[in-house]
Amino acid sequence: MIITFFSAANAQKKVVISKDEMVTVPAGKYQPFFITPNNQPIPVPSFKMDETAVTNAEFLEFVKANPQWRRSKVNRLFADTNYLRHWQSDLSIGEANKKIYNSPVVNVSWFAAEAYSKWKNKKLPTIAQWETAAKAPPRNFKYKSLTDFILDWYTKPNPKVLPNVKSTYQNEYGLYDMNGLIWEWTFNFNSFIGSRDSRGNDEDELKNFCAGGALNVSDKSDYAAFLRFSYRGSLKGNFCIANLGFRCVKN
Amino acid sequence: MIQISKKEPHLKKAILPALLLLSFTFFMFSCKTNPGNNADESKIDTTLTGTVTAELTTAPNVPKPLTYTSPKKVMVTLETIEKVMPISDSSEYTFWTFGGQVPGNFIRVRQGDLVDFTLKNAPDSKMSHSIDLHAVIGPGGGADATATAPGQSTHFQFRALHPGLFVYHCATGPVPLHIANGMYGLILVEPQGGLPKVDREYYLMQGDFYTKGKYNAPGLQDFDETKALAENPDYVLFNGKVRSTTGPNALPAKVGETVRLFVGNGGPNLVSSFHPIGQIFTKVYMEGGTEVNHDVQTTLIPSGGAAIVEMKMQVPEVINLVDHSIFRAFNKGAIAQIKVTGAENANIYQKLKP
Repeated sequence: MIITFFSAANAQKKVVISKDEMVTVPAGKYQPFFITPNNQPIPVPSFKMDETAVTNAEFLEFVKANPQWRRSKVNRLFADTNYLRHWQSDLSIGEANKKIYNSPVVNVSWFAAEAYSKWKNKKLPTIAQWETAAKAPPRNFKYKSLTDFILDWYTKPNPKVLPNVKSTYQNEYGLYDMNGLIWEWTFNFNSFIGSRDSRGNDEDELKNFCAGGALNVSDKSDYAAFLRFSYRGSLKGNFCIANLGFRCVKN
Repeated sequence: MIQISKKEPHLKKAILPALLLLSFTFFMFSCKTNPGNNADESKIDTTLTGTVTAELTTAPNVPKPLTYTSPKKVMVTLETIEKVMPISDSSEYTFWTFGGQVPGNFIRVRQGDLVDFTLKNAPDSKMSHSIDLHAVIGPGGGADATATAPGQSTHFQFRALHPGLFVYHCATGPVPLHIANGMYGLILVEPQGGLPKVDREYYLMQGDFYTKGKYNAPGLQDFDETKALAENPDYVLFNGKVRSTTGPNALPAKVGETVRLFVGNGGPNLVSSFHPIGQIFTKVYMEGGTEVNHDVQTTLIPSGGAAIVEMKMQVPEVINLVDHSIFRAFNKGAIAQIKVTGAENANIYQKLKP
């Protein structure tokens, strides 16, 4: 009985850990992966970033406070039919899903992530911010290189149960799981390729497919970056995907 | 053959010049329909006469020859699936596939068909995927239209203009990694008159694989980027696995039969020197195109290319199909087999006592 009480209390304690911890990412320069004449290294001023991805428990608070973002109420233009499909119901992650209360929320659209950020008085990171933050070397790392680690994660199927936040590595800035747990939305997730409506635009030549995809990149051997940009390039704002979540920033 | 009766010699006189004229016309006609003109849209029939759904098969099986004789709208749906499967007896690998197997589903259409193509990416995929079919004339061979996120689908259509055997592959960056993980397959565009009838058809596709551990190292093996860039594979395989098509899985055939193989090479790096041990290709549709070569021992199959080869089964034997860059066959897995059963024929081959 006591044990049950304690584990329940523990679970409870885990659910409410959302302390909105943010860390400072120092100012830097970001070399865009796809190089164009207008795409020179750009300065990235210092900003604050969530130390972990937004969890299911945290996102539940948002849904409770914003009924229009409940699974049954959400506008399909803003979230496809996979929106929060791993939850038990509108306002419950589900007793059976206890293990993922503290795991990153996934199956959320760009619009949902953007709305959450606004509700928190934060923003989604730009590609420049996200890439700058993720470049920081890992602390206490068993892999010989970060790219190696990322590639190993990319080439393994999704786990059956998504691990909790802080289950991979922490980087020099103090950020957890920038790689190895989920993909993350960025504010301008597909701005690096010409839109489908801008045919004839020079940018259209930079599409990230076939061998042409390697013509104008800053580091051809960075397969991890290729994978990330290909992934981002295939997204639309209402897509909800089982390995795609987000974290927020504050300028 | 036109039979000329000996009882009517006057007819012979009349027919011979006519035959000459006929053969001359035929010669001119064949020149006009040389392979270079095969894909001229104004010269092939493209009027659609209905809709069919393509039969898709997994290697070594090939869809049945097409029975329709006028262009159709052909519905094709492929699904990209990431899947851990054995690559050898003791190693596993995370394959990225079209349809859950390496190579991907075989697609068979006819010259003049309008192919309505849907690419689905399985919901539990980690990656985005796309497809470049070498049979497509259009941006990226379809890749421009098919960047597909997990759980999503994309859609485009193309006209099958050129007859031949074509490779398709994933074209999502970094393309070499997607191909190295097994994302390739074959699409056959039958000429409007079809291919000559044979007794058996099979599907083989070569590919090279790069793993952190050595050949047959135990456990799940990660992709090795350094070995891949050095073009130094641990595995060179037919149909995605060591011994996929040997022993109990050898391709069956009988003495007297003609066997046609649709052979592709997915690469990503190696060119195949495809050779049948104890046989000779009676026909090779070189590079999968319309030119046919005869009596060939070894044919080159480029990375991202294909060939159609045919053999007449003459004696009972096991034909080892190998990449004759022979270390690959001996040490890296590049062997498939045809097991021929039937009566011995001492006129062709017999083992003699010393």
